[in-house]
Amino acid sequence: MLAAQRGDVLAMSLLLDRLAPWVARICGGIALEQADDAAQEALVQVFRDLRTLREPAALRGWARRITVREAVRHAQRARSGAAHASDEAIEDIGSELRDPALAPDLRAVLALLAPEQRAILVLRDLEGLSEEEAAEQLGVAKGTVKSRLSRAREAFAKRWDS
Amino acid sequence: MSAPQQLARWPSARIDEVARLRAIAAARPHLAYLERTIDAPLEVVWSIFGDLENGVPRFDHYVRWIRITERDGERLKLESNGPFGGRMRFDAIYRPGWCVMRSWQGEVGMAASARGPGQTRVAHFEGSRFLGAVGRWKFGRSMQGELATLARLCEEKSRAGG
Repeated sequence: MLAAQRGDVLAMSLLLDRLAPWVARICGGIALEQADDAAQEALVQVFRDLRTLREPAALRGWARRITVREAVRHAQRARSGAAHASDEAIEDIGSELRDPALAPDLRAVLALLAPEQRAILVLRDLEGLSEEEAAEQLGVAKGTVKSRLSRAREAFAKRWDS
Repeated sequence: MSAPQQLARWPSARIDEVARLRAIAAARPHLAYLERTIDAPLEVVWSIFGDLENGVPRFDHYVRWIRITERDGERLKLESNGPFGGRMRFDAIYRPGWCVMRSWQGEVGMAASARGPGQTRVAHFEGSRFLGAVGRWKFGRSMQGELATLARLCEEKSRAGG
């Protein structure tokens, strides 16, 4: 890590091996169709600013914040003008998706959530952060995380149980 | 659906070798960085671009010879002619579609990823630790010619049947 911060390209190559699959999953779940661009921007920012990171042990949290921010930003930009589910409407998603002819498609379910809700799902259920940590990463109140997460999980459960 | 099954189906961004090289180049502003799309399949392009000993001297006229002196998995040690007649020694990470090299004088990076039917995107960086912006200008100029020659060689080989 220190060698990568000093600009050693071999160390950066090894660091990319560790970070890229993780960044790809975070962006995949939040930015969906814009995931490739979001992941590219996130990696460019992480590597460009790597030398400014004072505590190498904080790499994951720091890189996660950059990645989630880029993923939400790309998803929001693509979403502008497109219809999406409100927090309240998400509770109804499950019943809309109960058509057995539709094969389970995680991406289709995620696409019915707003980018901010996908970000909370990713941080809590994929990354295993606490509500406090997720709220801190997203810059929202803990109560907002709690309510959005509950609705998003409910929509998920209905989908997978159908 | 179990948690591991869901994780396996989790949407993921595509972060190919060219995207990775862009991230490293962003961290090293003294590097000259160039990309180009070549009308030849990845296997054909990498058979020249990635053939360090026999392919690189065909498109990079500063490189008269390169020898792989040690190989340990994807870690290589290399020697090549230096710019003023001496030798340069490099440590490298090498795998299909990816090569980054580091010597005490400078750094080289090469990446290739498939793009559409019969097309390949290549990315290349070179830089000197001592020449800074002058080196970026100098390498940038020569790299344009190198990638043009590489494209011609690859497209000729592809037309001849690979």
